Amino acid sequence: MDVLDQMEAVRSQKLSRRAFSTALLAAGVSGISLPLASRKAGAAAADQATFFTWGGFDKPEIFGNYIEKHGEAPNFVTFGGSEEGLTKMRGGYVVDVAHPCNQGIPRWVASGLFQPMDISKLSNWPDIMPELYELEGNIVDGKPYFAPWDWGQTSVTYRTDLFDLQGQEESWGMLWDERYKGRIGVLASAGDAWWCGAIYAGVDFTEIASDAGFAAVADKMRQQRSLIRLYTDDETTLEQALASGEIVAAMTWNSSAVKLKGQGIPVNFANPKEGALTWVCGVMIHKDAPHLDKAHDIVDAMLSVEAGKWLIGIEGYGHSNAKSFDQFDDATLEGLGLSRNPADILSAGKFQVPQSQEFETRMNQEFEQIKAGF
Amino acid sequence: MGNRAGWLRTMYMRHEGVRAYTLLSPALLVMAAGICAPFVILVTMSFWSQVGFDFDTTFTPVNYLKIFDHPVYLALLERSILISGTCTIITVLLAYPMAYYVAFHVQRHKLMWIILITLPFWTSYLLRVFAWKIILGYNGAINSGLIGLGLIDKPLEFLLYSPTAVVVTLAHASAAFAILPIYVSLEKIDRSLLEAATDLGDGPVARFLRVTLPLSLPGVLAAMLIIFIPTFGDYITPAMLGGPDGMMLANMIQAQFGKVNNWPMGAALAIGMMITVTVFALITMLVVGKATRQIA
Repeated sequence: MDVLDQMEAVRSQKLSRRAFSTALLAAGVSGISLPLASRKAGAAAADQATFFTWGGFDKPEIFGNYIEKHGEAPNFVTFGGSEEGLTKMRGGYVVDVAHPCNQGIPRWVASGLFQPMDISKLSNWPDIMPELYELEGNIVDGKPYFAPWDWGQTSVTYRTDLFDLQGQEESWGMLWDERYKGRIGVLASAGDAWWCGAIYAGVDFTEIASDAGFAAVADKMRQQRSLIRLYTDDETTLEQALASGEIVAAMTWNSSAVKLKGQGIPVNFANPKEGALTWVCGVMIHKDAPHLDKAHDIVDAMLSVEAGKWLIGIEGYGHSNAKSFDQFDDATLEGLGLSRNPADILSAGKFQVPQSQEFETRMNQEFEQIKAGF
Repeated sequence: MGNRAGWLRTMYMRHEGVRAYTLLSPALLVMAAGICAPFVILVTMSFWSQVGFDFDTTFTPVNYLKIFDHPVYLALLERSILISGTCTIITVLLAYPMAYYVAFHVQRHKLMWIILITLPFWTSYLLRVFAWKIILGYNGAINSGLIGLGLIDKPLEFLLYSPTAVVVTLAHASAAFAILPIYVSLEKIDRSLLEAATDLGDGPVARFLRVTLPLSLPGVLAAMLIIFIPTFGDYITPAMLGGPDGMMLANMIQAQFGKVNNWPMGAALAIGMMITVTVFALITMLVVGKATRQIA
């Protein structure tokens, strides 16, 4: 039975009663089943808590306990960078859980948009490594605002077959190599790029906000601009460009190198002689979180060993739960550039120092101008 | 019916103005709430300044002065004008023959042709941008095709992450906006005028230049405005395909409201952009209007 035939029948007023009933039945059945279908397809569920994060973390593996308890994964909303997320929330956007990083903690707490964690609701909290939450500005009146989740490094992922080191040590200079003009990619967020520039410029992180330090980094970033093929906030874009050979070296996080290696592409996640940028990211709960208990359930699920297994094994990031590392042997961890003892990694790399909002604005403003060619 | 309702009814029936405003009221309300109010907020905010997380609400033109102080803003403005201007011209030039064909040479199933022309619009804009990324990409359709044919031995890099990519994508995305108004104005042309021109000795070219083109210029003008105004402020395409040299002013405005966290500056840039668009729209209208009169 053709739909057009039916329309014609209606127009000529010759629709039989049987055909009419069939049509009604079809409409009724599709009307009822449509919401069911879209529901299964993962449409935003109003009664689930919302997690505001980077793209790529909307994986059921992370939220196993939450899904078991509430039947569905939380809702996901993504930002391009955590600063962009903060601006959006300051504009009145309310989520349950957001995903900042260590150097943002004091400013995020000062924004007054978040509430301390109720650690009695977090069954996995006792297994969390204290050095990851005893961070500057996190614990106010004995209560943490920030639950650490992922930690890792920002460094250079390069094609071992296309990038010729010429016997030199791996270095941040790889992203400033004139030989590969137009074949270098960099993260568009100053929250990573500027700090990596500071490492290469030899500016100590405690001096990054000084005029001399600021000018030195800006200088390096300007110098790099003409070599850049693309600036992007999207890891996948960098990974695809590395995979096709469009770019030969890029500033990435751990996971890009792990994923590319998994696809058999000859890449290496550099261990630059100047030191990689290290960071700890985690979650905070909004002060007006509409689903406070579920928000804590999200956090607890993320802190679980199951989530850690995914984070370490699939993405190649460090997890905050000490027990997660027991799932892996030392060789695997070493291959991922991780260690059972995060202090080893964190002290070997360069750890971002929290800055004022004025500095953030100034840095982002300057970096936007540099990216635009000024 | 009560007395009061009766009075309202009399008012409504007797005064045309009341009737007009009543009928317009839903649209007016939406305009006031959705356009005028945000615009007032935007203008007000552009005269504030940002201090850390907060706004300093003392009146200051400093954001506007900055637009002229820092070369980056004017350069981005210039680039936006160039990119969307190029895109407008290319689109109109490509759309005109298509519209002409449908208006004059398609006799049957005209509606189907129109629907076919709008077909690309049935998918989301973002998907079309991604599609172009695949076509123009390093290992994309064009590059692999040319390499396969042996015409080039390494991929053409200017295709993607460049202003070219932005122009190509925007021109494709706005094609239907150009074809439809031009088609309508061509379709309206009285065919007897063309016959008269032929009778009076005009060849096909002279007839086109003296009759068809001038009479279709209003459609061309509409197409130019409809394309220039939205592409000028386009954000997605330069963000996805522009690369470092294809960034436009809208991307800078987005950054001001996002990671840079300087809303007043973003507001000032947005106002500056609106003024530029208005000026360009007026210039286009004047030039095309004058051309129409001169040819006619």
